[in-house]
Amino acid sequence: MSDFFQTGVITTLHQLGHPSLERLEAELASFSKIRPVALVLPALYSEFEGPAMPGIVRELSKVKYLNEIVLALDSASEQQLRSVREFMSPIPTEVRIIHNKGKRIGEIYETLTRNGLDVGPQGKGRSAWLSYGYVLARAKSDVIALHDCDVITYSRELLARLCYPVANPALDYVFCKGYYSRVSNKMNGRVTRLLVTPLVRALQQLLGQHGFLLFLDSFRYPLAGEFCMTTDLARVNRIPSDWGLEVGSLAEVFRNYSPNRVCQVDIAATYDHKHQVLSADDAGKGLMKMTVDICKSLFRTLASDGVVFSDGLFKSLIVSYLRQAEDTLMKYEADATINGLAFDRHEEARAVEAFTKAISMAALAYMENPMGSPLIPNWSRVKAAIPDIFEMLIAAVEADAR
Amino acid sequence: MMDFLEMIFQPLRELFLQLGGFLPNLLAMLLILVLGLLLAKALELLLVKTLTALKFDSWSDRMSFTTLMRKGDLWARPSVIVGGIVFWLLAVVTLMVSLGALRLEAIDLMVTRFFGYMPRLFSAMFIFFIGYLLTGFVSRAVLIAAANSGFHYAKFLAEAVSALLTVLILAMVMEQLQIAPGIVLAAFSIVFGGIVAALAIAFGVGGIEAAKRVIERESAEKRADEPEDEIEHI
Repeated sequence: MSDFFQTGVITTLHQLGHPSLERLEAELASFSKIRPVALVLPALYSEFEGPAMPGIVRELSKVKYLNEIVLALDSASEQQLRSVREFMSPIPTEVRIIHNKGKRIGEIYETLTRNGLDVGPQGKGRSAWLSYGYVLARAKSDVIALHDCDVITYSRELLARLCYPVANPALDYVFCKGYYSRVSNKMNGRVTRLLVTPLVRALQQLLGQHGFLLFLDSFRYPLAGEFCMTTDLARVNRIPSDWGLEVGSLAEVFRNYSPNRVCQVDIAATYDHKHQVLSADDAGKGLMKMTVDICKSLFRTLASDGVVFSDGLFKSLIVSYLRQAEDTLMKYEADATINGLAFDRHEEARAVEAFTKAISMAALAYMENPMGSPLIPNWSRVKAAIPDIFEMLIAAVEADAR
Repeated sequence: MMDFLEMIFQPLRELFLQLGGFLPNLLAMLLILVLGLLLAKALELLLVKTLTALKFDSWSDRMSFTTLMRKGDLWARPSVIVGGIVFWLLAVVTLMVSLGALRLEAIDLMVTRFFGYMPRLFSAMFIFFIGYLLTGFVSRAVLIAAANSGFHYAKFLAEAVSALLTVLILAMVMEQLQIAPGIVLAAFSIVFGGIVAALAIAFGVGGIEAAKRVIERESAEKRADEPEDEIEHI
């Protein structure tokens, strides 16, 4: 059973006792009449051939309160699109597929580019962003929930708990992030445990109290890919197109809304998904690419909030981070020991070394180019640049569905 | 025997003679067709490049022409679509000109009719273009005006105005193209007249009470404005 301690400046919604899923779903069904919920699923075709997607579809076919499901499908041919459509057919909710590799959606991206709107390269960020646009264009839902499609331990309780805080009009949250413990026979989630939290605390140590760092440190799993938000937030939020997606999105939430309207919810007792390799020697792939992108996103967010980064600060940050990470590592070792979990201290120490290198690389990249790759513009701006973009998007998805 | 052979060869000789006279025309037709198509392709490429340089695609995106194309399931760049339209128009013109080189009476008549129809085609395209712009402008103006004055069904009103104008413009285009003009005119009169009659009845019947209140209020205000008679009767 979870504790009930409230962390930081946002609200934490714990899983206390054994809350009834039937009650949650019944309440969600009634909330959805006034706040219809859309589910966005960014997926690669390869995930339909993996172990997670059949389970997700099986669970979603039992869900009654969803208004629509938008599947943003990447790396799929026309034939694969047809098989995905067939795959999703057991789900009773209306499913719309955004075929990112199709010529129509390709033309939508080109339309955006030629009008000076940089939507970044292919990836989860761009797919999620376009899906929000599609939900906004249809104007049939008030709440958007998003989760990854590689969750092996998926259950519909995860979705219900994720949607509940935003869908419930009495709670009045605009953004809700999921959290869970990434535990199998060992502790997973290295990037959150050994990079983000120690880095944020090292920055706090150097910069003192800072609103965004406090906000970020309040999240138990800031890199969780599962979240739920209002469509108003989806309209005004800009998001990064790279691995800085989660941190960048939280920065935008912090910028646009009070922390009082932000919460995190315990969505699963266990959670397992596709694991990334560390690839410590290659900063262009795996966890190294992810960590460099996250660090850059963090530095740029802080810089945009007035923090002045210098060579000296970065040098101190690396040393401070290393100390924080080593202390954290010892805490997790103790935590693993009492719970009888396997803990490879050497592997964890190697991860910390790799992350230290990643911070240096991110710092260098930041000093060379503080602006970096811009965030994907928010939909309000896109609509101002191309007034009919929503009609075009609807036409593309409808034509692909035929 | 010679007469018999002559009877056989005479038609063949005539056929060869006719073919000899027709072959240069056929070659001229093929030459015109090939050169015309090559020229059309070159003009298409030049037009696409020019339109791209002039940022026609972005302009089309903002002016809603791209949306119109997308709704018609055309997913190429607007400049490429315009280039394609020009190419096919030139290809048809080339075909007609080349057919004229055959010097066949029936084809000459068809070519003459085709070129006689061209002005109508261009004016229909012009009406459609201007009409589309006007429809978008008027419906947006109605939407903004209605929304600013707090009208609850502003979007519905704007869509209704857009639909009415679209019907009007399509009828004008069809009439210009002389496609069943009698039927188009009758259908347009019935549809447009029906809509106006339906609106008149709906607002007329539904607005009896409102109109009554307005008239009563007007009369009451008028009575209140009239100066009172200061002379009192004993």
